[in-house]
Amino acid sequence: MDWSAFSVSLRLAAFTCLFLLPLGIWWGRVLATTQFRGKGLCEALIALPLVLPPTVLGFYLLQQFGRDAPLGGTWAALTGGGLNFTFSGILLASLIANLPFAIQPIQRAFEHVPANLREAAWCSGLSPWQTLWRIELPLVWQGILSAAALTFAHTLGEFGVILLVGGAIDGETRTLSIAIYDRVQAFDEQGAASMSALLLVISLATLGLVYGLAGKRRWSRG
Amino acid sequence: MGSLASAGGHVDDLIVTAQQAGPIPLNASFRCAPGELLALVGPSGSGKTTLLRTIAGLYQPQQGSVRCAGREWFLAQSGQRHSLPPQARQIGMVFQDYALFPHLTALQNVQLAMGHLPRAQRFEQAAQWLSKVRLQGLEARYPSELSGGQRQRVALARALAREPQALLLDEPFSAVDQVTRRRLQRELALLRQQISIPIILVTHDLEEATALADQICVLHNGVSLQQGTPEALFRKPTSPLVARLLDRHNVFSGEVVETDAGRRLQWGEWWLEVAEGLDRVEPGKPLAWYLPPSDIVLHRRGRPSQGERENPVAATVSEMVVLGGMTSISLRVSHGDMLRFDIATHAAKRNQLSLGERVHVSLLAEGIHLMPSQRTHTASHNKRNLL
Amino acid sequence: MRALLLLCGWLLSAPVMAGAPIVAAASSLQFALKEAAAQFTQQTGHTLRLNFGSSGNFRRQIAQGAPFELFLSADEGFVQALYDEGYVDNAGVIYARGRLAWVQPTGRYSVPSEQAPLAGVQEAIAAWGEGQRLRIAIASPEHAPYGMAARDVLQKADLWEASEPLRVQGENVSQAMQFALSDEARGGLVAYSLAVAPALAERSEAVLMPETWHTPLRQRMVLTPQAGEVAHAFYEWLQQADAKAMFETYGFSTD
Repeated sequence: MDWSAFSVSLRLAAFTCLFLLPLGIWWGRVLATTQFRGKGLCEALIALPLVLPPTVLGFYLLQQFGRDAPLGGTWAALTGGGLNFTFSGILLASLIANLPFAIQPIQRAFEHVPANLREAAWCSGLSPWQTLWRIELPLVWQGILSAAALTFAHTLGEFGVILLVGGAIDGETRTLSIAIYDRVQAFDEQGAASMSALLLVISLATLGLVYGLAGKRRWSRG
Repeated sequence: MGSLASAGGHVDDLIVTAQQAGPIPLNASFRCAPGELLALVGPSGSGKTTLLRTIAGLYQPQQGSVRCAGREWFLAQSGQRHSLPPQARQIGMVFQDYALFPHLTALQNVQLAMGHLPRAQRFEQAAQWLSKVRLQGLEARYPSELSGGQRQRVALARALAREPQALLLDEPFSAVDQVTRRRLQRELALLRQQISIPIILVTHDLEEATALADQICVLHNGVSLQQGTPEALFRKPTSPLVARLLDRHNVFSGEVVETDAGRRLQWGEWWLEVAEGLDRVEPGKPLAWYLPPSDIVLHRRGRPSQGERENPVAATVSEMVVLGGMTSISLRVSHGDMLRFDIATHAAKRNQLSLGERVHVSLLAEGIHLMPSQRTHTASHNKRNLL
Repeated sequence: MRALLLLCGWLLSAPVMAGAPIVAAASSLQFALKEAAAQFTQQTGHTLRLNFGSSGNFRRQIAQGAPFELFLSADEGFVQALYDEGYVDNAGVIYARGRLAWVQPTGRYSVPSEQAPLAGVQEAIAAWGEGQRLRIAIASPEHAPYGMAARDVLQKADLWEASEPLRVQGENVSQAMQFALSDEARGGLVAYSLAVAPALAERSEAVLMPETWHTPLRQRMVLTPQAGEVAHAFYEWLQQADAKAMFETYGFSTD
């Protein structure tokens, strides 16, 4: 068991969730409740990482993260560090790759909140913030939890993007999935087996949570 | 283009005007006094709900204004534009599908609207409101555990708990069955006695409007055509369109003529006496006129005519439709127009009315209502009325 | 929200571990270098982090700024390229010479003789023609030096085109070894050092390829500009007698 890789994987998944969930709630709500020009394009872009081969994403990010590219250069100027081969780099890559997992379940949940519930809250005297906090969020928490679980599990499983951008640096960018790949090449079947089993258990647990929530009785539209 | 109620309105009235070309065309104005219930009626798409949402602050038309209790809630005119958000307007709104918060109990739903009260009082007050709508004992139920009628009552309690300046009801009884609807209408009528704020009720159900409203405003394609008491509208609609929207028949075309005996209304072969309005109309111009069914009196068979009868008219029975205790009669006159009215079924039997029979009726001069400068395009509509 | 992200990113990009130096090593050193590092740690108390992969891949990553402090390539060309391009400030030293070997799973097929070491390849080609699907594995000739050597050997014996349908490529020579020992393969041309490693010695049978059949696998290592004290110390240590002896047990030559 490569504990250092486990730690990298956990940190990556945790930070990805931490940053993406507020974004998911914000954008999920915007997409569910407003119409604007270019909304279709926006939704397509968000969904792109679902179908784009991870190596394609990894390739483009690898280029953009280099110090000569605008993004990489700005980062280096602001922080003094690089993006490729660093934890920040794979975290950024992970945030992009997980956008659809964080946004879509929450967007669906907000779409199921009838528009007149918000209006009823306003007419009852609640400000938009109070409405979000006391009416909308309690009704979409299952979507938020789904998004968190999917993002977490998906991040743990990321491989192509992380490998290209991160370079499998021990303790920095070598995640559990990469470590498994590594162990297989090193003919360490035991090591690979134990780590694979761990990832399998976590993935099953996540799916169990997500599907269990979906089956649970939802608040009927009274 | 709409007509307001009495010009002498009160400064505390709810006054609404709205004009815009699209996306939903509007050209409406109406007013409602505190304690009064104004029904907005019209077919689907006539803008009733849009106007209600305008009052609530959920919609802002391009031009218009909303004033209530002396305060300006919304103004969009000649460069000025400001609008108070719904929270600041203090309105109570009952939505068509209740819009109860599904994750809160009935009591919590009502409590949510009591932000203006100190926390300590909310529980008790909310319970009081629920008992006012006869839901005591059901405070801890969730909306999914309540029937349609019970949910509507919670919605009403929640709207009233806000202690609003105006109460807005958007087809509140359309989603429940007939029996529950009658019950809720009755309770609304009772509840009205305890509150003195303007109440606006949107409905497409004319019977409901007639039963509950002090004033009705008729809307069509966003235009407010006429506002008045139900009796005024049903006896004196301003145009054939209003009459049609109110499901009134007996709209005909005629012409005012000068005769030896004075001005009369010429209709086909008859000259009709009219109690009121002839002097305002220029002879020679064709116009539309209307007669409420209550002002058509059937001459009893066999009774000799007793001296002067008002406006006697001969006609043939064209159709008889028995609808329970009332029978709807359509009479065709010589020039083709159809008179329609209802009589009790037993009276029809007593008079031995049958199809094709020639009868005589009197058209009461008091009921004839002239609609000058209106042409009726419903003339042929009447001829083909029931066929 | 993006501002918050940048802030956290700035926090995170501060050196996570000012810790053990990272060494990039060719896959042929998979087992040998592990042992070397263990010995080094035992003797000096300093730890190292080892990354194995194809030399060509590491050459690219170093050019892109990867934080490796020491690079052990399986050839000279990649180190030379880095020096020419200015990514390292010296040309490093040769630390060992590798050998290419034909390797096949133990006890399954007849073992080729030293005089005809490509017999296995020829048998596999013949069998393929008769419909028997047995493959031969090599490392990628694009960026793995042992893959290039394998290509040299097959071309010299005029078997490169003939073996094309049955060749399977590993991303690096370790993966090639894996494929070579799998059920679907007749065998493969891989690093001798992998075949003689204690971990794999029982599972495989190996026959050396004559060195004259391919460009010699002179394996060169170089310190990068990021190299710290420990990396330097390891660099020196790898050139001493102890290290050389250890390389020899893994089938490398160190003269």
